[in-house]
Amino acid sequence: MNRVFLSLLLVLIINKSFAQKTECGCFVKGLVKDTHTGQPVVGATVLILGQNTGVFTDPNGRYELRNLCPGSYTLECRIVGYQPYRQKIDLTAGHEENFNLEEQEVHLKDVEITAHRSEAPSSQPLTTLSGNDLEQTRGQNLGESLKGLTGVTTLQTGSSISKPVIHGLHSNRILIMNNGVRQEGQQWGSEHAPEIDPFIATRLSVVKGAAGVRYGSDAIGGVILVEPEELPFNKGISGEANAVGFSNGRQGVLSGTVQGGITGFKGFGWRAQGTIKRGGNIRTPNYFLDNTGISEKNFSLAAGYRRGGLGIDLFYSRFDTKIGIFSGSHIGSVTDLLNVIKNGEPFVKSGFSYNIGRPNQNVTHDLFKAETHYHFQNGNRFQWTIARQINDRNEFDLHRPRNDSLAALNHPELTFKLTTLTNDVVWDHKPIAGKIAGQLGVSTLYQYNLMSGRPLIPNFNQFNIGLFWIERYVKNGWELEAGIRYDYRTLKTYRIVSRQKVANTFQFANFSGTVGATRNFSDHFSVRLNAGTAWRAPNVSELFSDGVHHGAAAYEKGDASLKSEKAINTIGSIKYADARWSVELGGYYNYISDFIYLKPQPEPILTVRGAFPYFKYTQTDASFKGIDLSGSWEFVKNITATSKLSYLRVYDQRNDAYLVMIPPNRLDNQLKYALSDRGKLHDTFLSIGNLYVAQQKRVPPNSDFLAPPKAYSLWNIQAGTSLKVSEKQQLEIGISVQNLFNTVYRDYLNRFRYYADDMGRNASLRLKWKFGA
Amino acid sequence: MKMKRNLVWLLLIGTALSFTNCKDSGDAVEPDDENELITSVTLKFTEQGTSTTTSFSYKDADGDGGNAATQFDTIALKPNKTYTMTVELLDESKTPTDDITKEIKEKADEHLFIFTPSPATLLTYTYGDKDKNNYPIGLTGKAVTGATGIGKLTVQLRHQPGAKNGTPEPGSDDVNLNFNLKVQ
Repeated sequence: MNRVFLSLLLVLIINKSFAQKTECGCFVKGLVKDTHTGQPVVGATVLILGQNTGVFTDPNGRYELRNLCPGSYTLECRIVGYQPYRQKIDLTAGHEENFNLEEQEVHLKDVEITAHRSEAPSSQPLTTLSGNDLEQTRGQNLGESLKGLTGVTTLQTGSSISKPVIHGLHSNRILIMNNGVRQEGQQWGSEHAPEIDPFIATRLSVVKGAAGVRYGSDAIGGVILVEPEELPFNKGISGEANAVGFSNGRQGVLSGTVQGGITGFKGFGWRAQGTIKRGGNIRTPNYFLDNTGISEKNFSLAAGYRRGGLGIDLFYSRFDTKIGIFSGSHIGSVTDLLNVIKNGEPFVKSGFSYNIGRPNQNVTHDLFKAETHYHFQNGNRFQWTIARQINDRNEFDLHRPRNDSLAALNHPELTFKLTTLTNDVVWDHKPIAGKIAGQLGVSTLYQYNLMSGRPLIPNFNQFNIGLFWIERYVKNGWELEAGIRYDYRTLKTYRIVSRQKVANTFQFANFSGTVGATRNFSDHFSVRLNAGTAWRAPNVSELFSDGVHHGAAAYEKGDASLKSEKAINTIGSIKYADARWSVELGGYYNYISDFIYLKPQPEPILTVRGAFPYFKYTQTDASFKGIDLSGSWEFVKNITATSKLSYLRVYDQRNDAYLVMIPPNRLDNQLKYALSDRGKLHDTFLSIGNLYVAQQKRVPPNSDFLAPPKAYSLWNIQAGTSLKVSEKQQLEIGISVQNLFNTVYRDYLNRFRYYADDMGRNASLRLKWKFGA
Repeated sequence: MKMKRNLVWLLLIGTALSFTNCKDSGDAVEPDDENELITSVTLKFTEQGTSTTTSFSYKDADGDGGNAATQFDTIALKPNKTYTMTVELLDESKTPTDDITKEIKEKADEHLFIFTPSPATLLTYTYGDKDKNNYPIGLTGKAVTGATGIGKLTVQLRHQPGAKNGTPEPGSDDVNLNFNLKVQ
């Protein structure tokens, strides 16, 4: 996958007119343009924060804000898909001697802004977590960090393993782009969390809805973009150190980043980053959960070079985690499961311990990426990215082999080693008539899986090639977009059946398309509409599973004749924002034909551990429709109320039934009091929040050992401030308490809801020290 | 034109690079090896005062899934008799056959058999063996039948590493089979 760095060149020009005393005559004008292509950015919003003043850049990328009074302002430049850019401007200091009646252009400075341009269709909702909002999630895993966004929930296995869920879809139905490369782990497993350290990113974005054209297969529910900041080319040394402590699990997280340029080596930038995490047993309101510790050690290195239109970036990251799995969740038979459900709490009792014993999973993920791009003078741009990922997953069962000599080896009972090579070439053609911009690309993926231990999924080799073409037309607040893609995939699997090697070959081919429109009526009000398709080939576990899934007490059987899943997604949103109000309302309808799910079979399967309910991977047509609503209102100065509602209804259209494991509806409310800056303290706030999660009542009857848990309501409080220690040093402090009243609850999408309650009260302290340029 | 040619070269190199690491995962397929597999459970009843032994088995040679169980006997016993009952567990998917009974004997302090007749009057079971902590095991024991009747005998092997306390609660099932039981 590739990522495009586009830059905005924002030239601020200040002029002060002294003539009119009554009406202020200062103005700011300038040009917003793309530094690399030199093309003016049309339709960008430039506004003065805190005032109801904003304009769009004209077809030449020019803007002008008039009738400003002398004073300090923050100017913000926004365009969909770019990182918002802010610049403080001072219309008073040091310019009095220049006051004259004539317009005089004073270049404040040339500000080069490097912004990550998201490649998702611009007409699809893009929700971003960055800055202070991201800081508040520091120390949590990727899934947990994204949980606060509307329409995003998590699928959990206990408290330490969580997978993001977008609009009710997860695992192989969403795609994670880690620094521009599609993350390839063993995503099919519900207890296989994304192998990404969120500290790598300064921006986490979620593209909601099918985005198959730009990203290829699997982008059915949406795409998560994990994006680091651009490297600090030619800048001094800077960095940050983070320390986070959590009371629950007595967890500590340390993370640091150092970055800079190299003096005497123009155009060079580098960054080194690392994170250590260690936690022990999690406590529910009434008891500890045995063996729920975590140990994580991650690091990443990046280096890059820029010269003229040429850019080269190298990136390496290693993610290494060891996660204990709650030992009370191990069951041998349905009787075991029914007994623990009947007991209401786990049979295994424990105190606090940092020890991680069996069962556990030990996962490392290595990513190496090399990217190069070249901007031609005429506006064309070429980008080539290659990446290699090695995902090494080792799972240790509760019980070692009975045989002593085998047990002494302490081998994992399951090992998966997945190696993936991706290759992406993207050509951004020069704008046609200054209005139509577009890109063409080819992506290849090759991967092979090596498996050992208990038979679960086969070994496989997989090759995928995709070709896409997207064009975008921008004019006067309108943005129209259309794209098409073709993918071809071959999969060859190798299994042992009755001691014989059996090979199977599969081929999948699909077209995807997208059309969308965005209309910016003003800087306050915009409407967007997108229809897109995406597809997904059945994964090896859906094709070849054959055995008892012990976590679910179910016998699961794959079907080698499954076809590809195809989604048609329509998504629309309306956004209004002014200084005190903001409302975003989004609605979606995602129709997935040949949706793959586990269908209960009438007869149970008999095993030596008794009879297990029998489920078979089957295809149906499913509809996912929902509403995401978020709004905030500063009803008294400095006090803002925020509400977020996620509503989802899912239906199996072919069988006239509901589907299992669909996130229940939720409502998140927050009240935030922002204190005014005092001395060296700024960005000080206090907030209190409540999360209400309804009971999932739309489930097929008798489909589960235990009915979905009751609705719950959790309270949380947060406070934070930033202390400017010196010109180049800043300390940020944050505290929070989650589940303030130690409420006992269980969540429908936590696979351990059969065995134990969810996490109890969790207080945390965050410290962040930023230094340098 | 020159630039285009360069691009073509870049593309070719890129494609070539993406295949240099290709490996055939088919070469590395190893036969499966499930640690805890039990494919056959046999209960052997020897009537007291005789040497006739009758065996009743559950057999699923390829383990869970694949082919269904090939044998699941009904336990047929005489009323009001005392039997010596022993249990034999095998993993027949391995060559040679893995004797699980022996492994359980070695790890007796982690395992406990539970025999539950239903209705309870059909059979009374008394453990005939003990582990080093003086807790019962159940590899051998005494079964006394009651009056004529039909019902079920549930055979459970509880795996209780580090937690065995003589009760069924700790641990999880390694075996959980509902044999039909006929006393006549």
